[in-house]
Amino acid sequence: MSSRRSRSRRSSNSSRITEEQIVELVSKLQDLLPEARSRNSERVSASRVLQDTCNYIRDLQQEVDDLSERLADLLATTDMTSAQAAIIRSLLM
Amino acid sequence: MASIPSSSSSSPSQPKTRKKPGQNSLQPPPPQTKWRTGTQERLYSRRLVDALRATRDRAQVQESVGSRAVKEAADSALALTARGQSRWSRAILFGRNSCRRKLLVKAGGKIRRHRRKQHGVPPVAATAAEPGVLKEQKVKERLRKLGRLVPGCRKLPAATLLEEAADYVAALELQVRTMRALAEALSAAAVSAPEEEEAEAADPMVIAEQGS
Repeated sequence: MSSRRSRSRRSSNSSRITEEQIVELVSKLQDLLPEARSRNSERVSASRVLQDTCNYIRDLQQEVDDLSERLADLLATTDMTSAQAAIIRSLLM
Repeated sequence: MASIPSSSSSSPSQPKTRKKPGQNSLQPPPPQTKWRTGTQERLYSRRLVDALRATRDRAQVQESVGSRAVKEAADSALALTARGQSRWSRAILFGRNSCRRKLLVKAGGKIRRHRRKQHGVPPVAATAAEPGVLKEQKVKERLRKLGRLVPGCRKLPAATLLEEAADYVAALELQVRTMRALAEALSAAAVSAPEEEEAEAADPMVIAEQGS
């Protein structure tokens, strides 16, 4: 017989994706979320993880927007030389 | 009979035999560790600062720098720090230049350019070989939502999308941390010494930088 599912565990492109792989990826994602700290090794449902991920990404993007506004204001009002000193200091920290 | 493991040199209709079995051991480091090293933070900080300075210089003719320009600079710097190893980073970098989209396909999406018989096969086999969790309606919807949030990932298969999302989340966290640190540093500098260059000049760091 030609190759069957025994081969599919290794290849991760196209359609031969195993349940294990998905579960592993979902749990990797779950570990990244802030909620992971409170529910350490407890496996949550995939749809919950996806929902939390979407919310988290949206929150992070919103924070980036807010910080961008703040930085834009700061860059406008701060003199560049003192800004350079601040930047160097923060880079080294 | 197509049971020869790795000698598929001329058969386009055998996608599985092209991958070597040992490939899984060469996986890149997981997103958490990759994006949380001090090196990455410094790399990104430097890139961010350069990008912001460039944006500011360019804007000098017009008014001051807008927040959208800052965000775009930060995103580009982040994508650069990713070194184009992930789809979302390539989407950010090449999305700026729409004429460079062909580069994007060649660099990362080489699967799409080749219209082979493969494209006929997966839709049929997909429903049979798909893991159970992916068949749920809720999961499908949320995967789609996720695909819309991560740049450049709308049409990816589930496994790739999950990987990209993990990398993107870790990278976003780095971006937020760095931008916040920078904002804090700048506002501290602004408060303590708004126009006094002499006071700052006492700082040896600034003397080294200024030289004028």
